[in-house]
Amino acid sequence: MDYKYIEQLLDSYFACTTTLQEEQILRSFFSQEDVPGHLAQYADLFHYEVIAKEETLGEDFDQRMMARIDAEKKEQTTTGHIVEMTTSRHAKSKFLGISSQVFAPFFKAAAVVAMALTIGRAAEHAIGEQEAEENRNIVAIDPYIKSSDVQQAIRVKDVSQAETKTTNDSILSIATKDEIQ
Amino acid sequence: MSVLLLKYSSTATKVLQYLRGSTASEQSEQSRPSMLDFKRDILPLKNIIFRTALRIVLNREEAEDIVQDTLMKLWQRRDELEQVKNLEAFALSSARNLAIDRKERMENRNVSLDDEAHNRPDESSLGSDSHIVQQETHHFITSIINSLPEKQRTILQLRDIEGKNYKEIANLLSITESDVKVSLFRARSELKTRILQKKSLFL
Repeated sequence: MDYKYIEQLLDSYFACTTTLQEEQILRSFFSQEDVPGHLAQYADLFHYEVIAKEETLGEDFDQRMMARIDAEKKEQTTTGHIVEMTTSRHAKSKFLGISSQVFAPFFKAAAVVAMALTIGRAAEHAIGEQEAEENRNIVAIDPYIKSSDVQQAIRVKDVSQAETKTTNDSILSIATKDEIQ
Repeated sequence: MSVLLLKYSSTATKVLQYLRGSTASEQSEQSRPSMLDFKRDILPLKNIIFRTALRIVLNREEAEDIVQDTLMKLWQRRDELEQVKNLEAFALSSARNLAIDRKERMENRNVSLDDEAHNRPDESSLGSDSHIVQQETHHFITSIINSLPEKQRTILQLRDIEGKNYKEIANLLSITESDVKVSLFRARSELKTRILQKKSLFL
């Protein structure tokens, strides 16, 4: 069997020019039982690389780890609940999400009421303006009526003045008559 | 009147936009993939973290402590880590930082800890306790690797044992790919030299 390919791969391995696949070929090659004598020296290295990956934590690790996680969970739900709500950014956004979810219909209702109110007010305002315009018209007409009243009143006054004048004259004439007498 | 209407319609659209925006965020909240599950997403990382940490601290108890602390940290930060694409890389790099820290503290506290590790050679090669010869040869390779500087050790571990590519290793250690190759070259050269030395001793 020709080992030139393996020898080449070995050279490349120590020159750091092998690909991950080629390194896997080397590991596979050296994990076989009968490695030729001149390559046997490297068998330990590649065999070690395979074995070292089997290094794992004991089964009791999971129990210890889960106990720690459960302790953390309990702690969070009892004491850290409110703190988590206010400190954690995600919790905050979640809280906001829930609140908007719960209050969404109310928000909508409030918006509708607000819109109705504002439109109502706008309409009221517009109608009010119209009324004001009408009132102004009335005011404009009023002075005419009033001026005619005044004219009439002036006329009446003139008449009364004339009357008083005549009465005054008559009184005077009576007085002069008395003086003469 | 028309101006007023325009004003009100603009505020109305704003209100609608607000409502729509809030419901949109709600939907994204609900349709988001379920949160990280500890047993499904985090716990399976335990062994690769363990091996990487063990390669740095060279002590099983310390390494297990580091695994616990790292997994705990991942679990506590699960909300922000949902966006992390490569959880394993994040876990390994934080475990490495923790391990380097612990190793330094161990060395400051107890200088003889390295000797202790040497006295228990099969400590970090559990999978091979069936053959004494195998233990012997594995101890030889282990002692070479463990005598390398931490950076070379970790890179060799990630490349030759965990099968990571150069890019992954570079990202994990926050160094360049050529830097990774240089360290790996030194590590493999040292292995080759020591293996050939041993061979010449036997002959």
